[in-house]
Amino acid sequence: MNERTLYTETMKIELKEDKLRSRIRAISSFYYQKGRMPSFSEIAKLVGFRSKNAVYNLINKLEKQKVLQRDAKGRLIAGSIAAPVKMLGTVEAGFPSPAEEELADNLSLDDLLIHNREATFLLKVSGDSMSHAGILPGDMVLVDKGEVPKSGDIVIAEVDGEWTMKYLRKKGENVMLLPANPKYQPIKPKRELKIAGVVTAVVRKYK
Amino acid sequence: MDNQPLTIHSWPRAILHLDADAFFASCEQAVHPELIGKPVITGKERGIVAAASYEAKAKGVKRGMRLFEVKQVCPDAVILPSDYETYSLFSLRMFEILRRFSPDVEEYSIDEAFVDLTGLRRSYHGPYGMIAKKMQDTVETELGLTVSVGLSISKVLAKIGSKHNKPHGLTIIPGRDIHMYLKDLLLEKVWGIGSNTIAFLNKFGITTALEFARKEEGFIKKYLSKPYQEVWHELNGRSFYPVTTESKSSYQSISKAKTFTPPSNDKSFIFAQLSKNLENACIKARRYKLGATRLIIFLRTQEFRNTGIEMKLNRPSAYPANLFGPLRDGFDRVYQANSFYRQTGIVLSGLDSETKVQYTLFDDPARIEKMAKIYNAVDELSEKFGKYAVHHASSLPTKIQSQHEGERGNVPVRVNDLFKGENKRQRLGLPLLHIKV
Repeated sequence: MNERTLYTETMKIELKEDKLRSRIRAISSFYYQKGRMPSFSEIAKLVGFRSKNAVYNLINKLEKQKVLQRDAKGRLIAGSIAAPVKMLGTVEAGFPSPAEEELADNLSLDDLLIHNREATFLLKVSGDSMSHAGILPGDMVLVDKGEVPKSGDIVIAEVDGEWTMKYLRKKGENVMLLPANPKYQPIKPKRELKIAGVVTAVVRKYK
Repeated sequence: MDNQPLTIHSWPRAILHLDADAFFASCEQAVHPELIGKPVITGKERGIVAAASYEAKAKGVKRGMRLFEVKQVCPDAVILPSDYETYSLFSLRMFEILRRFSPDVEEYSIDEAFVDLTGLRRSYHGPYGMIAKKMQDTVETELGLTVSVGLSISKVLAKIGSKHNKPHGLTIIPGRDIHMYLKDLLLEKVWGIGSNTIAFLNKFGITTALEFARKEEGFIKKYLSKPYQEVWHELNGRSFYPVTTESKSSYQSISKAKTFTPPSNDKSFIFAQLSKNLENACIKARRYKLGATRLIIFLRTQEFRNTGIEMKLNRPSAYPANLFGPLRDGFDRVYQANSFYRQTGIVLSGLDSETKVQYTLFDDPARIEKMAKIYNAVDELSEKFGKYAVHHASSLPTKIQSQHEGERGNVPVRVNDLFKGENKRQRLGLPLLHIKV
């Protein structure tokens, strides 16, 4: 295939994907506005098809991609259309910047926050030694026991018999545990240091 | 003669058996690190030892021991209520970790797995023992508890291996070494050999696994039934039992039984307990799309005497509304006013696919459809708001009166230690570390 044909082929594929995406968007808008899945004839109207067969083919494609599903009676229900949070661009608090709505590959909050599901644990924070790192008393942190602790990570550690959550700082043979709050002192392990896991995320629910 | 190997094949298959050490107690120590190194017992709500940590075992605590006995042999034992929610999470995680290494993982019990490693030496560029060690290390690091592993060429031998060195053991038994491990192993310790057969074999002077394995095939075939012939093959390194990966797709019977304390003779409370068991059994049946054609109810008195009754149903059903009639009838027949009861139980059996239903002349199809709709709605609500969000009024007394009054009525810590958004029925599916930071 020469370069020009490759270019046209790539353009065609991209156009196809765009079209599919806009169709999914049309169906999901209907779903959110009306609170139900559109019927086949309604879908035909939304995407500009004239034959029910074309709608049928589209639905099959979307079913395969788990965008839509069918309930026990065979009726259409929302699949991933209902569930994920669409990825927006970064929004800086206080600066109303234009957020681009991109229907990116659907990543759930679970996927975002948990990398190694089998090794991730919950922990409720009670102290304020890491408050300047944004971890406040009452917060939930996710602790990964499978991660190898590196210098700069926030770790849950047992130092000389006491449990604490601090920054890990390794400088060669020297190991220190640093707080994120001027009220607290850095800790230098005297006898033993056991790291129970690495803090990978903090979760705070307001409502 | 005794030093001759049983087989010349070192690794015709590679089967691993993984057994978590003192599982329930170890889970508690994993989420309560301050209990590491201490004697920990679970099973407070039952009044007996369900699991004991190795520190407690060292003091002489045994499974099934009554709690007051524990306080005598091990006064500083930490006794905790069972936290099945947490144990289940750990168990599922253990199996998922094993699945990273091989797709052939059999969930043998809540804390035991068989894994088929045959053929994986090439992928891992190393011997089976190395793979086994990696699996053990990963499970121990990511879960925070210890497991014992046996690696051999059949399931029976793999299980012998895992038991050989506990806790945190790794025992590898290649074909040429089998005889060394069976030499001093009593028949009692072999998986699959029951006490009657042991007594029978003893009469022939067979007391160890090696003596049993070395017996000629003619003898085995003549005197023992098929299951024992299979065990004999397995002990000789000829793998007969494959590692089965299928999860339970169907059930022969579903039973739900629950003990309550103190024992009661309050008829409506006892019926409520029975009703709740029935609802829970039906929830499970509906999950697997099954309906019961036989209903068994039983009551256990505080003297541990059981009375029960079995009822046949004319059509498979998993809808409590249909089954309350027979339940009432059966209960009235079995309940005795002057007895104090401690446990009620339900067994749904004769399970059949609920979609295969053929309506009889006496059925009311409209009513049956209506029932289906109602319970579909109940199941959907349960999915959204937690199990038992909607239930029958007859079970209400179980919510008003606690299942275990007094000291035994200790709920696991996790149930009350909630995050914003969690409630008594719905919680995040991740274990909570009870560390104060």
